[in-house]
Amino acid sequence: MRTMGLNLRQLKIDPDAFAKEYVAPVHRMGRITVGLHLVAMFIPPVALYLIYGLVPPWDGFIKGMLAAVAFAGPFFIIEPIAYYPVLGISGTYMSFTAGNISNLRLPCALVAQSALGVEEGSKQGELVATIAVAASIWLSITAVFIGAVAGGFLIERAPPWLIDAFRRFLLPAVFGAVFGQFALRGIAFAPFPLILSYFAIQARQPVWVVISLSVFGTIIVGRIIYKSFMTRKEAPQS
Amino acid sequence: MDWRQIANAPWIWLCGLILVAVALYQCTYFALRAIRLLKASGVPDDAVKKIIRASVITGFGPVMALIFVMFALVAAISPGFAWLREGAAVGAVTTELIQATNAAAGVGQTFGTPGFNEIGFAAVVWVTNIVCIGWLIAALFSRHLQPLREKIGGGDARWLAVITICATLGAFGYWTTTHLLRRGPFAVSVIVAMGLSAGLYSAADYFKRPGLKEWALGLALFGGMIAGKLYAG
Repeated sequence: MRTMGLNLRQLKIDPDAFAKEYVAPVHRMGRITVGLHLVAMFIPPVALYLIYGLVPPWDGFIKGMLAAVAFAGPFFIIEPIAYYPVLGISGTYMSFTAGNISNLRLPCALVAQSALGVEEGSKQGELVATIAVAASIWLSITAVFIGAVAGGFLIERAPPWLIDAFRRFLLPAVFGAVFGQFALRGIAFAPFPLILSYFAIQARQPVWVVISLSVFGTIIVGRIIYKSFMTRKEAPQS
Repeated sequence: MDWRQIANAPWIWLCGLILVAVALYQCTYFALRAIRLLKASGVPDDAVKKIIRASVITGFGPVMALIFVMFALVAAISPGFAWLREGAAVGAVTTELIQATNAAAGVGQTFGTPGFNEIGFAAVVWVTNIVCIGWLIAALFSRHLQPLREKIGGGDARWLAVITICATLGAFGYWTTTHLLRRGPFAVSVIVAMGLSAGLYSAADYFKRPGLKEWALGLALFGGMIAGKLYAG
């Protein structure tokens, strides 16, 4: 294992100092900043109304929210629980504020912990994960800003056929790509959401009903398959 | 007013800046606390710099892959909206696209078609910004995550992984099925993207090139999109 000449595994961190000078202020500032972030999420919808008078019809908004919550709901609970051992306390606050957790924050924390020879869940691992995730946030925000500006510049100058490709076929490709990625990790479960969705769509159910059926139906089927057929050795890794 | 002009107006960029400011203050505060404790525990300055450097180098590849996929959000909505939602607003690009689709469906519109208008965009702004509050509320319960992990997972990390996989398959399965049922170039886009994604991930494992996984999603996404366009003519 590469440790870059550092032996942080042997580093002794005073438990009192860790609790008083790190854990307590992290929880305090975490709650304050997450609270501010939560309030700030309402600024774009309110601004849209104040500047343009635009607001979606109430029933349409509710239907959209139901579909959105049906998709995201399981992740509200599962992701913090699943990622917490690697991210630690501050890594969790930061990751759920800045987003892009599984594709960016988590890998950064894991690789930094591995490179420095510390274990996830340890005090050393917590501190290393904090620095790794913070560095990734500075990096990603800078890159996203440059990417958004450059992307806008490039899209304006793109040929019409490419713009048409983006507008008409981007979404089907996104869904297919992500589905393919996760189907590989759980091939036994993959046919069921397609089957459940097909019959629910044929039955002309509202979007939020079909998504709920697809998500929770697949989880139930997954539980049955996992308990019935999968040993610890065969089960997929997160 | 065309919704695309609204989607890239200065106020959208300012909203993104507000979210970014909160996230940067938070991560800087936490990092300084961690660095201070490491130094107090005897870690020298140059070692701390090595940790920071290692973290930046590690993040470079995933960030480049993120930008590549983010162009999809830039093209689908606007650069300003991509900045708002990807700067520091909880969601990943694919999550934002699916939530935008769900939001538009709620008001009876199809995101990405000529029929999508300013009302659909308003629904997208409201839904994408408000639904992600669920993750922020979950973060507020960070103190209770360890006992909750024991209760829900029963200490079985693999079962937690199965839930994540099934939930993702379930959510993306619905929209995958919807586009497959449209047939023609839409089905081609889905199938090609699915095949490329699975193929590239498999290749990354087979050839022991884990870095390929960072780019697999973006390459599959663009491959599927181009395939659909070529089929449509």
